[in-house]
Amino acid sequence: MKKSALFLGAAAIALAGFGTAPATAQERTIKIAGFGAKTGPVRSFGVNSEAAMVAAAEEINKKGGIKLADGTMAKVVVTFDDDRCQAEDGINIVRRLASGDTLIAVGPTCSNVAEPLFGILQKKVGDDKDSGLRFPIFTDVAVKGGLAKISEWAFRNTPNEPLLYDALFKYLREKQPGLKTIMGGKEGDFAHSKAGWDLVMKVAAPKYGFEVVGEVEWKLTDTTFTTQVRELKAKNPDVIAIAAHPFTLCGVVKEMSRQGVKPKLIIGLTSSSSMETMEGCARQVEGAIIPTTFAPVNDEAKRVAALIAKHKGSADLHSTAAWENMMILKEVIEKAGITGKPETLAADRKKVRDGLAALKETQGLLGVTKRTEDREAIKPFVFVTAKGGNWVVTYDPTKPN
Amino acid sequence: MVLIQAVIDGILVGTTYALIGIGFTLIFGVMHKLNLAFAAASIAGAFVSLIAWQHFQAMPVPVIFAVAAVAAGALGYVIYLTCFRFIPLKSPLATLMATVGMLIFLEEVVTHISDGKAQNFPGMVPDERWILGPIDLRVDYVLVFAISLIAMLLLLAVLYRTRLGIATRAVAQQPVAAQLCGISLDRTNAATFVMSGVLGGLAGAMIGSSAELLSNLLPLQLTVKGLIVTVIGGLGSIPGAIVAGLLVGAVEKGVETWNVLARDLCVMLLVFVFLVVKPAGIFGKLNVRD
Repeated sequence: MKKSALFLGAAAIALAGFGTAPATAQERTIKIAGFGAKTGPVRSFGVNSEAAMVAAAEEINKKGGIKLADGTMAKVVVTFDDDRCQAEDGINIVRRLASGDTLIAVGPTCSNVAEPLFGILQKKVGDDKDSGLRFPIFTDVAVKGGLAKISEWAFRNTPNEPLLYDALFKYLREKQPGLKTIMGGKEGDFAHSKAGWDLVMKVAAPKYGFEVVGEVEWKLTDTTFTTQVRELKAKNPDVIAIAAHPFTLCGVVKEMSRQGVKPKLIIGLTSSSSMETMEGCARQVEGAIIPTTFAPVNDEAKRVAALIAKHKGSADLHSTAAWENMMILKEVIEKAGITGKPETLAADRKKVRDGLAALKETQGLLGVTKRTEDREAIKPFVFVTAKGGNWVVTYDPTKPN
Repeated sequence: MVLIQAVIDGILVGTTYALIGIGFTLIFGVMHKLNLAFAAASIAGAFVSLIAWQHFQAMPVPVIFAVAAVAAGALGYVIYLTCFRFIPLKSPLATLMATVGMLIFLEEVVTHISDGKAQNFPGMVPDERWILGPIDLRVDYVLVFAISLIAMLLLLAVLYRTRLGIATRAVAQQPVAAQLCGISLDRTNAATFVMSGVLGGLAGAMIGSSAELLSNLLPLQLTVKGLIVTVIGGLGSIPGAIVAGLLVGAVEKGVETWNVLARDLCVMLLVFVFLVVKPAGIFGKLNVRD
């Protein structure tokens, strides 16, 4: 009795094995690797991007996956590596991914990672003398302007901050003509923050008649800001533009509150239009205005925000870019007709690259995103204002007044 | 005037550096070992108090500080047990590496608890300031200074006016002779870890309270600051740690008025100068133990 039961059990296992083995062997996958900061002061960006990528992959796979050249439906597999916002880590991750079976990478979080990382990619496609990596990267977060032009394998779906802040200062000049002077604050040791003030806000503000009366800086991990806020107080500008991420933004506005610094308006950096800011300093940041390329203003945006939240992420302009990237990649992969086989991996990567390069526009959550010649994005945007612990849309260019 | 104001701010905040430095120096003085997990335990203690506050919002700030101190004291004892008590003290690197491991462990725990985000921490007297002519003082900084000063005086009282203090100093000077006199090395060492932990927890809570934010990035920053203060003050010297803490705070804030990005550079330069000119630190003595 015992023997026959064992035999039956073994037979059942063997049959089950035969039943599933061929299907497993035939199932093809498309590996898309995310990478970004999951430790350090900008950890939340990596966490949110990962949540958005996983949510997008789930949605794609639920609908059957990605259609390959031979008609097979491939499932999307997402991995996510932590580069700690360190260039050497980011480069090591991408070198490892490029030597494996990953088709394309989405990331990184930090511009100080993106800049040197794009430098190790082949500069011009087809240049056989250039031994740089031939591996496509589609950036979702790193914002610093003009980075994609470093390599023809680099693409970005990030906000064009000069355009955003140009529009913001133009809007402010029209709506609040009484604002005359502006002073900036930045994280001096963080590329996006520094460029956000030096190359974007400080350049855009004077074009619309704002007089720049000074600037202060601090470090990304600082916790005391007494000296900087005293300087802001001494200059007493109408507008204080804080080109910083939520952690130090909250530290600075709290110190401003302590020292009684009350500018007529606070302008924030795009990356601070997140719930992290609200959790950290909702009261002190009340009334601040920020241009952003995401806000849950339509049904699809709201649905995606809920899906990202399900994966313990927060939907903001960066994480929703990761979602958009996944959806764009699905379309590009299907259109490019890749096979998804190990022997054609290099050719598939090239086809995806060419497909991305050929895009003139893509569908984003807030509307149509235009693609530029140098592989950057011009995304639709809105202005949001901090009100009662939430970011509320105060201006949508598609709906004037 | 901007410089004077910044230096005053630096001195007031520098007392928390002094407390952290005292923690390092106290343990080094007694055991001649560095506890690199000390600052991490201090911040972890502050995080415990933060969790308590998140559950009982009505909790007054002094109670929050007390919770932080007790939690960090308990963590100090755990560190003693895990990184020193059962590890051969003759191997100079064994305890050092154990505390490095504990530092990383505590940092990770704090990161997971906080989800890697800075957390709101209750301020002592938010938005209160004293204007003394041209000098603008943050009341919470003044309180930090006062509380730190009281904590230091209490520590000195314990060290110089109690049996535990006598035992601690005896073990620091002559551990073998202390043992021969019936002093338990194990108990004295454990008590030293708890005492330094209490000071560290208080410092961690005050740092969080004055910033109104508690960050998971603080352990490493404070470890570096604590070591700098200990080196400048002189390994094993409590008065040295106090003076060095105030000095580092003042230099940091002073340099900030000139160039924020040069701040850490200047502090490191200061350490370098001390190592070359006065390697034993301000009050330290070379070969203090015979």
